[in-house]
Amino acid sequence: MRKFYILLKKEIRELLTLQIIAPLVLTAVLFIAIGGILGKEQKKAQAPQEVLLQNLDKGALSQTAANILDSANLKTETIDPSVSLDNALNQAREGNKIALLVIPADFENKLLAPDQKSIEVYTIIRGFSITSGQKYNAVVSAVELMNRGISNILLAKNLPTVNPDLIKSPVRVNDFLVVGGKKANINPALVMGFVTQQTMFIPIILFFVIVFASQMIATAIATEKENKTLETLLTTPVDRRLIVISKMTAAGIVALLASLIYLYGFRSYMQGITGGQVISAVVEAIKALGLTFTPLGYVLLGISLFVGILAALSIALILGAFAEDIKSVAGLTAPLMVLVAIPYFLTLFLDVNSLSPILRYITYAIPFSHIFLAAPNIFLGNYLAVVWGILYQLVFFLVFAMLAAKIFSTDLIMTLKLNFGKKK
Amino acid sequence: MNTVLNVKSLEKSYGNFQAVKGISFEISKGEIFALIGPNGAGKSTTLKMIATLLTPTKGNIEVFGLDLKSSLDRIRGLISYLPEDSGAYKNLKGSEYLRFMAGLYAKDVREENLYVEKGIELSGLGDRLQEKAATYSKGMVRKLLLARTVMTNPKLAILDEPTSGLDVVNALEIRKIIKNLAKEGMTVLLSSHNMLEIEYLSDRVGFIDNGKIHEIGTPAELKRKYKKENLEEVFIAAVKETK
Repeated sequence: MRKFYILLKKEIRELLTLQIIAPLVLTAVLFIAIGGILGKEQKKAQAPQEVLLQNLDKGALSQTAANILDSANLKTETIDPSVSLDNALNQAREGNKIALLVIPADFENKLLAPDQKSIEVYTIIRGFSITSGQKYNAVVSAVELMNRGISNILLAKNLPTVNPDLIKSPVRVNDFLVVGGKKANINPALVMGFVTQQTMFIPIILFFVIVFASQMIATAIATEKENKTLETLLTTPVDRRLIVISKMTAAGIVALLASLIYLYGFRSYMQGITGGQVISAVVEAIKALGLTFTPLGYVLLGISLFVGILAALSIALILGAFAEDIKSVAGLTAPLMVLVAIPYFLTLFLDVNSLSPILRYITYAIPFSHIFLAAPNIFLGNYLAVVWGILYQLVFFLVFAMLAAKIFSTDLIMTLKLNFGKKK
Repeated sequence: MNTVLNVKSLEKSYGNFQAVKGISFEISKGEIFALIGPNGAGKSTTLKMIATLLTPTKGNIEVFGLDLKSSLDRIRGLISYLPEDSGAYKNLKGSEYLRFMAGLYAKDVREENLYVEKGIELSGLGDRLQEKAATYSKGMVRKLLLARTVMTNPKLAILDEPTSGLDVVNALEIRKIIKNLAKEGMTVLLSSHNMLEIEYLSDRVGFIDNGKIHEIGTPAELKRKYKKENLEEVFIAAVKETK
């Protein structure tokens, strides 16, 4: 045990270098900063948007329309009807308005004719970002609100005995969302959006941890081979399995530490974006549906991630044994990265259960798929699927760990060589 | 027991290539034995087999009567190996490196401290030991590694090209350290292609070329036998004669 501790300490010292820590911390800080900036922009986009309104009609209906626009999520500034369109647009641009809305002169007469009439909306584009889009959506929503208001007035005038809402929406939809044996009275899109937003960082973090840990251990082995420190280490009176275990443990610890830093940064980023605003009905529905991580869920996710990392480390250790120098590590670990990337992208964009049987089984055969599938399965309460995934990863790890131990126990560790792009 | 190392009919092949072709030699306690030969002669492969890094394809190696195949762990406690052109861990200070290696050999902290003290003294690096090995010159790294190799009082020190790539001053210092260790009773097996160095250091030498040992003897004996003035000429004559 004493020798294991000595080896582990050395491995961690070798891995925790400024070159490793600095980019990690910097990325986390960047995530937090970008999240903060985006959060502020988000709040600005959600605030009432400034528009210029020109009402060329003298009727009461046009005044009602103007009032509805003003009461919507818009901050309207009215300009005199005598101002020309070009001057009005100039004023809107210079006044930093997002749109100019023009109610035409015969607005009321046309509507009462009755006939459809257009209002003119001049949207002033200053960028194509998501937050810019949200600002322009405010104008669209306000115009829709105005349309509904005018529609109600016209219906009340022409069909005074009929409820306008009955004419416009005779059938109401009462949404229920069912998960397993539980149901909640909520719009599915709201819940799906919230859960996706809250969990999208999980596969990103998992992907990062696996790739980071694998690269680290393979590089560590390659560095030791290149510097010939491995030759020295292998001739010491230390059980070679201890050397293997200490290297894997150190890489696992550093990878988990790195993932915690990333997790913190990414959480801050997501909170910055959403501004921590959650509709209480959504939260209640999520609780009612059990779409939360229980303590058991967290434990299972942790075990799944841990066993998955071990499986990746055992493969990376073997790949590292093939490396002649540090330069060859990237080429050697590329197949492993592909094995991690496939389930990462599949689970990020697709529902694995909807794949064809062959593709589904291929996905299940990749051990790292089970790490990415663990979180959605836990959300949906499919704990048994998570346990099977863990067991599969464990078997995978044990096989490769034994293979790694075999390589380190024989002179294969000295003689295995695969060096891409280098001719001797 | 006087025989420290007994190598019998040792062979090593990498696929179809035979690097070592049945070599045999013995080393006695307190002796400095050198394998001399050109690059690719099989010196390093032989040393790596004795250092337990490579498994012989054929033949036997015994260290203090222990068979290498069946007593790997015990033999690793008796030997210490200095690879050619090796480095230290760049993120560790010199002193930390010595402590790390001492910890792998020592039974307890007291023994570890003794090894580290000896390593510090042998390295002669003084305050520079408090700096990271990444800042060391090649000569300093070699001194640190030699100190590491011998600080644990191995029964057999295996040194592969101990002065390779070093300047005259550093090489001389390293040779002095090795000579002094042998005087203190340490058995040393080393390899080199520097004949002058070998002549200065070794009690006995083995000429190795193309995976075979062509001649074994003391430098004086060999010079007498081949009627040559230096080992370089003896080496060429011996290899030519036995080919």
